[in-house]
This record gives sequence, structure tokens and C-alpha cells, in this order.
Amino acid sequence: MQPIDKKQPAVSLPGGLSLPAARRLSVGNGSALYALDVPGSGVVRMSFVFRAGSVWQEVPFSASATANLLSEGTAELSAQQVAERLDFYGSYFDVTIDRDYAVITFCTLGRFFEPTLEIARQVLLAPTFPEAEVETYRNKRRESLAVERAKVSVQARELFARTLFGADHPYGISSPESRYDELRRQDLERFYRRRYRAANCFAVCSGELSERIESGVADLLAALPGGTDDRPLSMPAPQRAPHAFLRHEGAVQSAVRVGRLLFPRSHPDFVGMQVTSTLLGGYFGSRLVRNLREERGYTYGVFATMVNLDRCGYLAVATDVAADATADTVEQIFAEMNRLRTETVSDEELRIVRHMLHGEVMRILDGPFGIADVTIENIQNGRDNDYLEEFMTRIREITPAQIRALAERYLVPEEFTTVVVGEHE
Amino acid sequence: MIEYRTHTLSNGLRVTVNRDRTSQMAAVNMLYGVGARNEEPSRTGFAHLFEHLMFRGTRQVPDFDLPVQMACGDNNAFTNNDYTDYYITLPKDNVETALWLESDRMTGLDIGPEVLETEKRVVIEEFNQRILNQPYGDQWMLLREMVYKVHPYRWSTIGLTPDHIAGASLDEVRAFYRRYYTPSNAILSVSADLEPERIFALAERWFGDIADRGTAPDPLPAEPPQTEARRLEIARDVPARTLTLAFLMPGGRLSRTHYLCDLMTDLLAGGQSARLYRSLVREQGLFSSVNAYISGDMDPGTVVLTGRLSPGTELARGEEAMWRELHRLQNEPAGEYELEKVKNKFEAGTLFGELNVMNKAMNLGYYTLLGDLSLLNGEVTVYRSIAPEEIMETARRIFRPERCSTLIYGPLCNR
Repeated sequence: MQPIDKKQPAVSLPGGLSLPAARRLSVGNGSALYALDVPGSGVVRMSFVFRAGSVWQEVPFSASATANLLSEGTAELSAQQVAERLDFYGSYFDVTIDRDYAVITFCTLGRFFEPTLEIARQVLLAPTFPEAEVETYRNKRRESLAVERAKVSVQARELFARTLFGADHPYGISSPESRYDELRRQDLERFYRRRYRAANCFAVCSGELSERIESGVADLLAALPGGTDDRPLSMPAPQRAPHAFLRHEGAVQSAVRVGRLLFPRSHPDFVGMQVTSTLLGGYFGSRLVRNLREERGYTYGVFATMVNLDRCGYLAVATDVAADATADTVEQIFAEMNRLRTETVSDEELRIVRHMLHGEVMRILDGPFGIADVTIENIQNGRDNDYLEEFMTRIREITPAQIRALAERYLVPEEFTTVVVGEHE
Repeated sequence: MIEYRTHTLSNGLRVTVNRDRTSQMAAVNMLYGVGARNEEPSRTGFAHLFEHLMFRGTRQVPDFDLPVQMACGDNNAFTNNDYTDYYITLPKDNVETALWLESDRMTGLDIGPEVLETEKRVVIEEFNQRILNQPYGDQWMLLREMVYKVHPYRWSTIGLTPDHIAGASLDEVRAFYRRYYTPSNAILSVSADLEPERIFALAERWFGDIADRGTAPDPLPAEPPQTEARRLEIARDVPARTLTLAFLMPGGRLSRTHYLCDLMTDLLAGGQSARLYRSLVREQGLFSSVNAYISGDMDPGTVVLTGRLSPGTELARGEEAMWRELHRLQNEPAGEYELEKVKNKFEAGTLFGELNVMNKAMNLGYYTLLGDLSLLNGEVTVYRSIAPEEIMETARRIFRPERCSTLIYGPLCNR
């Protein structure tokens, strides 16, 4: 055998990255349907997005309970019947809820689209929130929240939100699990009436579509009640504190969260700060991963990211570290931020991040489900899918000098909030 | 339905390729037939520690992640009891970068003492994060030690204790690498919009000259059937009490028993409409959550039923209720509708799992390791062939008190 040249192969940055435009079909009552055709996939996914996140709730846990109990009993079907039918068709049903939105998703094999749509109609248009199911839900969730809150990472996430926004702020508030005991079915009915309306809703349909499928989903949307039955949201200014510590007896690891308020995705510096946070801790090989994991062995993982909310955004660094490494970890995080302020990043390092982000977008867009997720996010931010082009251009064109300017402007230690949950402060 | 072609190089490396005509991405999966099952009982957690070291550089490529990221790629790995799996997804035009990197780390791994020490710390922090610093974090670990007395499945991938990781030496690293990271113990699988012949040629180019130095792994002791009930009560700082029943399966991954047990746990817990949730949570309110699953190992695995008791539920009532569901499986034939339901769900789950190149490449590798690639598209048929009598017969064989390990895991003092 002749000797083989095993040098590094050349790589290319693939061009032509495209996201199909979603076809918008408006429905008379104020809602809209966005359709993304992905032929050959054999599946249909429909997601219904409501402005019905927890910021809108007056009673603790009522937003998530409403979303989660939509399927637990309807005018024509009991909770058990809804579950039976979804399971029978192998349809996948999922509810996600965050501070701003509730997203109700159904995925089905193309041949079971009709019966799945019929279940969706019941679930979205005629939920009854039966007392017995509310009772089961309360007990179940109170228990699971207690289990979640035994973890330092969950405690730190909640403490971070409280410290960054203030304990009473809609984006900061967290309620004790005992408040589940006060949750009544009337609270859910009221929340449903207020928020699950056409004007607060859009749907994204993706996969193997047809006219029949699109008109079926559009008919469902058309049946949502119109008009409004709600006050506008009051969003007070955040009340930030610079530090917080919560003692967790016997924790072998401390959870550390460091971050600051910035701006939502619509801000001209958002993408630039996405690149900056990626350099800091957004990928394997980022500065914080190298520092805290590969050099010091303090942690299994560390992550920095820009978080986008409807009315603001923030930068956050999160890691769980060996208890005795807590103080040095916080110091290293600030040192790495300072390095971004005082040293210009090399072209080489920025190129890696650029390629990495390019690949990440390609991976997300691989398959009918990822395309739907990106489309939902764009619509939530008031944009079409042409946002992707803008995002990719910005990433391609950002310079090391611009990154340094952003770091100087925004990575200001005095503006940051640090929280620690662990054995020692 | 996943189409595939296979080819074996002269050094024993098995290559499997799926052509996906829709994706812009390529997934390259490299599976090594070594897992926690091959570890010494005094050095558990080693296969997983070794997986971490595979990212820490070779003589030619000191930083593994950098070239992956430059090729717009993403990579990761996992270790389980049976095997270790490395995967890279990247734009298909850059597929050779992945093959170059995998061939390079099959022969050129270069680990010094400092890197080993740091990586040991990282893995010990992973142990802390996943096991010690989580409520119920050691539950599965405790359960393994109850079900298995001789087979190495008695420890989990992370290992029995952080001390085993802390004691790992460079000599052990070198010996493990030499023994298990060799072409005949590896499977390369690719899913991309690329000609299979081209992938075979590239495999030949990048791996063809690597000499095989493999010896077959040592045979493993078979776990004898359990003859007496086992029971363990644990008190820890957790908010609620959980009850878990575990049974050794009398057959491995390729046996019909595997599919029967999989289907039984789907009857019990495959979705919100399934028996355990319906009866124990929704109707009786004895539990706040329930689950049932099989471990899915290659050698005889475990059937697990588990649930978190509602506050105020007496343990004995919870246990009775779980056993009642097992007795139903033994004595009442499952109805046509219910069987159709779990079979539909299995089929849909299989399809949903085939929507991206990464899952497909991983599955190709896994079924090649199992030794029967036809199962990749054939399991739905096996599942559909199961009849009610067979389920009852299997349930009677497995779910017996003397074959049961019962783990009760609760708060320090009962609230």
C-alpha cells in the first residue's frame, strides 16, 4: 500500500443557507396561520402559540396550569379519552410555557391528521378544567416542584431571576409550592377566557402539508373567540440587586449564575452580544469552558448565553462547580469578561465562532420540526423568516473591533448580578 | 424505512451508510464496542473517563474541537454499559474532516499526566452534579446493585465511586486504548446525501491502513436468576417517597423477551392513557407520578416500575396497587384496542426518530453492533406480531415476588 497523505482536509463554508418563507394565511378574527411545506417527511406538526405565559397570571401557577390542563377534559371528551385518542394515533402532544408564551403542539403521521385535528379542536376550544383533574394536577405539581427545588441549579435559576428583576417583577417572581393549594378551577377558566383568544394567537404548521390540512387548521383558528377581555400588561422597571446567596446545607457543588439586564432581540446590538457571549461561553472550546473545565477542572459544564424575553433581554453565565472552587469561579468569570474588554479577539477565534454559529443554524434547520421552531421565534419577535438572512449577514460581517467595543460598553462589572447557591458564601 | 449499504474493511472496520436525499448535513458516527461492562470491578467508570480523554488531543491534532468547529460541525459522545459512541454532524461537503478526525484519534491519542488529572476532576464533578448533588441521584445506582450480583451491569457508567476515577493511571489509559480502540472493535456509520460508494472509498482512504490490534473482549459472567425477594429502604434528604420494583429480564436485546417486556411497559406507562397513570395517579391518587420502562441493555436487562407516592399514601397500599397492575398483565388478556394503541405508538415513535441524519447514523451503528441490521426496519413487524397470550405468559414468568427487587427511597423523617 502506498503511503497515504492524512493531512487535514480543506473545509468550506456552505453558502445558500435558506429558510423557506412561511406562507401567511390570515384568519378573519385576528389570528394567523403560517404554513411551511416540507414534502417527503410524512409527518405534520401544528403549533398553536398564545400570548399566555406566566407574566399574564394574577394567581400563582395559573398560566402553566391552564396550558397543562387544556387536554385534561373537554366538553365532549374526558381527560382519559383525550389521552387515549392521542396515544392511539401515536400523535405527539406537547405543552411548553415560559414567561411570555404558551405553545401547544401536536405532531402526527400524515394519515392520522384528521382525528388529531379533531382532538386539537376539543383541547383548544372547549376545555372544561374538571375539578378532579385540577386536584390531581395540584398534588402532582406541588410534589414535583418540591423535588426540582431540592436541586441547587433550580434554586439558583429562580434566585437569579428574583435578584435580576426583583422578587415582585413579572419576570422575577417565584411562588412557594404551597401556593398550589389555593389554585382553583375558576382561576384556570378565567385565565383561559382572558388569554386564549384569536388576537393572542398564531399557529405554525409544518411538514407534509396539503390544502385540506391548511384549511382544517385555519378553521380551528377561526373558531377562537375574538375581541379582548383583558387589561394591558403592566411591566414595572426591574429592581436589581448586585448579589444574592442562598445556603444549601451539604451541597457538594455550588450553582453560580452571573449576568446582567440588556435588551430584547429587536435591539441593534443583540446579535453582536450573541456573538460576544458565544466567545465567552457559548460553545465547547469557548473561553469559559477552557478556563473552568479544561484548565481547572472545576466543573462539568459552563454556559453563557443571551436570553430574549418579550420586553427585555439579559446575558447570563451559568455553571455548577465544586464547592471549594466557588469563589475562584466567580473571579474567573469576571476575569474572562474583562479580557474581552481589554484585548481584541483574534480573527482566528472569531472565525471559529462564525463557522460554529453557521453550522448551528444549519443543524437547527435540518428537518421539519426545527424549521417550525425558528419560524415561531421569528414571529414572536415580529419578524418574517427573512430575519435569518439578516442574522447570518451580521455574523459574517462583525469585526474584532466591534466585539471589543460591545464588551467595553456592556460587560461592565458594576452592572452585573451574581448569585450563588451552595454550602458556603 | 431507512435504506443502507454495508462494507467491511480488511482490518475489520465495519462501515454502514444511509443516503438521505433531503439533508444538507452529514452525520458521522463512530461506535466502539466497549462500555462499562468491560471494566474491572476495582476501576469502574473508566470507559466513560476514557471517552472524555478522546477529546483531549492527539499528536497531530492537539485540540479536537477546533477543526470540528471550523468545519461548521458539532460533536459529542456518550458511554453506556455496552458501548461508547462518538458523533459529528457537519455540512456534507465537509464530511472528510470528520473522517480525518476519527481516524486520527483511533491511532494517535496523546494523553499526558496533567490532562489526565484535569479530566479526572471534570468527571468527578460530573459524578457530583449527576449523582451526589441531585435528589434521588443515586437511585438507579442502588437499584443496579440490587438486581445484579455478578454481571458488570451492577455498576452504572459513571462508576461505583469517585475514588475509582481518582485512582485511574496513565498505564491503564494506554492499555485500554490499545485493547479496545481498534478497527475490528469499531463501527463507522454515515447518513448524508452522498453516494455510498464514495463513503466506502473515503473510509478505505482514512482507515484502510490502520492495523488491527484487537483481541476479543473477555466473556462476561451471566447473572443467575433471582430466587429470593430483595428489599432496600433508603433515607436521604429528599422531599417525597418513591417506590421502585425491578425485575431481571430472562433474555437479552435480541430475544423475543425484550420486545415483550418493551410492550408490557408501554401498556403500563406508554403515555398518559396508559394503565399506571390512569389507575394509580388519575383514579386512585396514590402516586403523584409513575413510570415503567426497560433498560434496553444488550445482555439481560431490567424491567422497572417506579412511582412517587402522594403525601399520605401508605407504602403498603402503593405496593399493592403496583402489584395489582402486574397481576392484571398476568391474568387478563390485553384488549385488541389497547394493543393496537401501543403498536401504533411504537410505529409513530420509530418514524419521529428517523427525521434527522444524526439519529439515523446512530441507529445504523447500534444495530450493526447488535449484529442484525435488518432489525433497523424490522422491529415494528416484531412488535406487531405480539399476541395477548404471549404477554400473559411472559408476565407470569417475570413478575414474581421472589424475582423482585424493591427499593423504597424516602425522606430522612416521614413528614
